[in-house]
Amino acid sequence: MKPAAIKIPGAVVGGLIAAIVLDTVIQVTWKRAVAGIPAEASFAAIAGAACASPFFYAAMGAFAAQFFNWLRVLKHADLSFAQPFTALSYVSVLAISGRALHENISPAKIAGVALIIVGVFFISRTPFRTTDGAGQP
Amino acid sequence: MKAELTGIILVLAAVTVESGAQLLLKIGAAGGPAILVPLHRRRVERLPGAASAKRWIGLGLLAYGLEILLYTLALHFLDVSVAFPLGSLCFVGVAVLSKIFLGETVGRVRWLGVGCILAGAVCVTL
Repeated sequence: MKPAAIKIPGAVVGGLIAAIVLDTVIQVTWKRAVAGIPAEASFAAIAGAACASPFFYAAMGAFAAQFFNWLRVLKHADLSFAQPFTALSYVSVLAISGRALHENISPAKIAGVALIIVGVFFISRTPFRTTDGAGQP
Repeated sequence: MKAELTGIILVLAAVTVESGAQLLLKIGAAGGPAILVPLHRRRVERLPGAASAKRWIGLGLLAYGLEILLYTLALHFLDVSVAFPLGSLCFVGVAVLSKIFLGETVGRVRWLGVGCILAGAVCVTL
């Protein structure tokens, strides 16, 4: 049986794309904020150094934007539909790590990225909303 | 070995708390407990302040704070290469809680997608 085409509203698609972009920004800026701090530094020293970095505040700003964006997505879509899409940020972070931060991208990592994309594709083929908003299918 | 077990328990606790945080945010975003399946809605509505969406969102944020603490503690005992794929079990936790508490339809295709993402998360850390 051929599955029916599922039209996902533009607001949900836009919110999911924004969630992936913001998650990527959070992870990359957070990493930049703590980069260069010695591994043996105390927790207080790490926190102090991170707070002195503009990247930390960029991460916090992106985190706040992500929070409001995510509430908007959840208002319109199933939780079990929307949340797995955030796994795509693993892909974008890995791509940035490879290109901008010159980190090693192994074949296993590439296979992992492919599996994540396939997984998200499967989920995108399911209805974005399966309840009437009152716990009923 | 004991340290590793402690780390694994902490990550699993973090996964449970994060899945719960997502559920709390979803209830808040939907405007309150009306989104819950009738069995759980009846139980929750007896609690004081349960009708306030802001309270659910606040609880979700608190749970996220606890999750960050638990995961940070876990990283003291475990390598990221172990903690990260274990943390991806959150995708399973969210699917299970969404089905039980929100009545969402988590069919075979959605589970297949979650399975692929989990396998992918393991590969990414190799």
